[in-house]
Amino acid sequence: MKISQRLFWPLLFVCPLVTAEPFEDEDLDLDALMGMDVQVTSAMKRAQSAFDTASSIYVLSKEQITKSGATSVPEALKMVPGLIVRQLDNNQWAISSRGIASRFSSKLLVMIDGQSLYTPKFAAVYWETLNVPLYDIERIEVIRGQGGLLWGSNANNGVINIITKNSIDTRGGYASVTTGNQINADANLRYGGDISNIGSYRVYGHLKDANESKKGVSLTPSDTTKQQSFGIRADFTPNDEWSGLFQGTITHSDLGQNYRGVIDDTNENISFSDGLERTDSRVMARLENRISPDANQMLQISWLKQNGSQKYIKEDFESIDIDYQMNFIYQSLQLDWGLSYRYNSISFEKSVFLDSDKDLDSLQQYGGLIQAQYNFIPNTLDFIIGTKFDHNDLTGWENQPSARLVYKPIENHLVWSALSRSVRTPTLIEFNDNFTVNGTKVIEALGSSTGVTAIDEYRIATFLNGNDDVKSENYTSYELGYRFTDEKWSVDFSTFHTDAKHVAVINLNTHADQFLPALAFFQAGQFQQAALALTTTQIDLDLVSVGATTTNGLDAVISWHPLNTLSTELGYSYTRIDYDLPVGTTPSIGFDSTNRQLFAKANYTLLKNHNIFATLRVENSDAYNTDSYTTLDLTWNYQINPKWSTALSGKNLFAGSHIEYGNTRETYTIPNYIDECITFTIKATF
Amino acid sequence: MLKAGFLYNFARFGQWHTSLSEQKAFTLCSPDQNFIDIANVALKNRTIQDLPLRSKFISFEELASTKCNMLFITSDTVEAWNIAKPLMQNNIMVVGETDVFIQNGGHIRFFLSSGKIRFEIAPKQLKDAGITMSSKVLRLARVVDR
Repeated sequence: MKISQRLFWPLLFVCPLVTAEPFEDEDLDLDALMGMDVQVTSAMKRAQSAFDTASSIYVLSKEQITKSGATSVPEALKMVPGLIVRQLDNNQWAISSRGIASRFSSKLLVMIDGQSLYTPKFAAVYWETLNVPLYDIERIEVIRGQGGLLWGSNANNGVINIITKNSIDTRGGYASVTTGNQINADANLRYGGDISNIGSYRVYGHLKDANESKKGVSLTPSDTTKQQSFGIRADFTPNDEWSGLFQGTITHSDLGQNYRGVIDDTNENISFSDGLERTDSRVMARLENRISPDANQMLQISWLKQNGSQKYIKEDFESIDIDYQMNFIYQSLQLDWGLSYRYNSISFEKSVFLDSDKDLDSLQQYGGLIQAQYNFIPNTLDFIIGTKFDHNDLTGWENQPSARLVYKPIENHLVWSALSRSVRTPTLIEFNDNFTVNGTKVIEALGSSTGVTAIDEYRIATFLNGNDDVKSENYTSYELGYRFTDEKWSVDFSTFHTDAKHVAVINLNTHADQFLPALAFFQAGQFQQAALALTTTQIDLDLVSVGATTTNGLDAVISWHPLNTLSTELGYSYTRIDYDLPVGTTPSIGFDSTNRQLFAKANYTLLKNHNIFATLRVENSDAYNTDSYTTLDLTWNYQINPKWSTALSGKNLFAGSHIEYGNTRETYTIPNYIDECITFTIKATF
Repeated sequence: MLKAGFLYNFARFGQWHTSLSEQKAFTLCSPDQNFIDIANVALKNRTIQDLPLRSKFISFEELASTKCNMLFITSDTVEAWNIAKPLMQNNIMVVGETDVFIQNGGHIRFFLSSGKIRFEIAPKQLKDAGITMSSKVLRLARVVDR
């Protein structure tokens, strides 16, 4: 399992090792060699491995992604032990690790080739409109826990970095069509070739048409998908010192969605079905330069535009990122430093749900990072220290330091530990916006009945209010990990304790005085006037940064590779989150809860051209208002000849019709039942 | 070290028109002692078509007389090779890592693309030298037609 140690993710460090070791059999495979990164110092030195990384990392390989039968990135992420991947309906997902996953706030940083997909409006990613061709993904690196230091703000719960293949490795044609009981058609086409002898390119397209779920919770499901996507990537290598990369992609999605909102003066959340139309575009260019055998530098400029439109919400979001990074090795010291700038433009049309206080329509962020790794004892002890400091328009300067230690007492065994601090800057919903939520019934506001049902049941207008007193959430994390590897076995164990303060929670503000006129009418027996007086009242749910949470947990993964044709994986993850809240406040996302996951995976080539890939997950959690469930995803791959292959998949087997995300207290969201699903794929390369 | 792994694969997937079976070993030569030291460790106990793989340091004076199946010219030794190459015999796969190596008579050239090793192959030149490369390798290469 080799992972990138290059510029954009320098958390993965280099061990400055000059001596050669005999190749392992699997490393001598031509495909494996092509996948290895050359160390910054010299082409002849060792490649960096995930084994040496001082954080809880899992690398999802391209082999697993292609053999799993997954048709989307969230589906592929179901194969990562310790990652919480819950499906709300056929389009929407809640994904996180070491915390509580939510459709709207998962505190997880997601990147494609180093380009952040973070939306400052709320702390989540539109998984349903993210289209990355799975067959051209090199690997997906998942870091559980905070990689705050080098990964930007808001990566408190983890980082997902999707790394796509260099176009030099995707020359030629690829076509695939998938159909099934939920997917009518999911078609992919790619063609790639050389650009003279200095570079290569690929162009690709994707079409998807999928059905709605069978069964909804309160409404008939409407979660259909119609999606078209087109993209291009070009890589240039004029010489060994310089290389460049350009890529762009555009995805248009027409999605059906059930959601809830307050749209009239009943102040009550009403469920309805609607269409959501989104166009997401990304463009990125990167220039890399080897200054000398010991130093590299990189400049990356990216642009992201997301345009969403549905009946009550229209959103237009754009961001530009400019990143410069440099790393070099001097004797036993490796130094990485970089500068970054981000410009966000956010435009939300005034909506019945959402109202902005300050009309903030652009945000800027700039800063730098520096990290030094010192090799105290060659091949045995490394110490890594660094910090990331940046300035944002909402909370000013933020500093995110970390220190890590890697110790290899004997060969094949490694112990690492880390102490780090990260921040999550407020989202605009928390800082700037007022969101109309389900009205509070009079009986709930008073705590007792008035004796008049019409008044008891009346919903007082209620708002979730972001405000500029909201601070950055502040996370301090202690982590300890152990790894072992030999030819057949590997073990990866990590445990953590995270303290968070200034967590945004909800403070109920009833403004008791405002009820006095209504109360006076009521006591005078003038019920109609009392009801009228109530229509001028409102209850505020103010976001305040007074919460604290403690999270403890562990992740363990054991891999067993007994035969060339069989590899297996067993995982267990445990996370306990406890809120410490002042009286009168409630959590905004999540609540005291325990999350357990048991995980098993097998990849078995039973005959020369036949392969079975299976992932079994047991999800047991009281964080999502659902029952525990066990699902099996099973795929049979058949390579008919070098050109043609097929795959037959059964997904969500065993679980039957089940709900994976039941937090309907979260405003807006309505889940559907997730069902078993069968897909059949035919693929060709030419 | 990674390049030693690639060379092993080129040896594995190359087909020498003159039979290798009369030889006692498959010989990978290089005029760069540093590389030979690394290859000796990295490719320890490997075989090519049932022949033991041997890495051997050669000086350019020995080029005409030494039995090599493959020759790796590193960037440190390419200038001397440019002078000595008229002494080259046939049936040797010549691999290098410097710009214009193929234009100067090499068969395969390593280059770097985004931190990964990739290679160019000139199959016609290789064939003229009496070697055919398998399509498995050609598929991964940037093919140079000169």
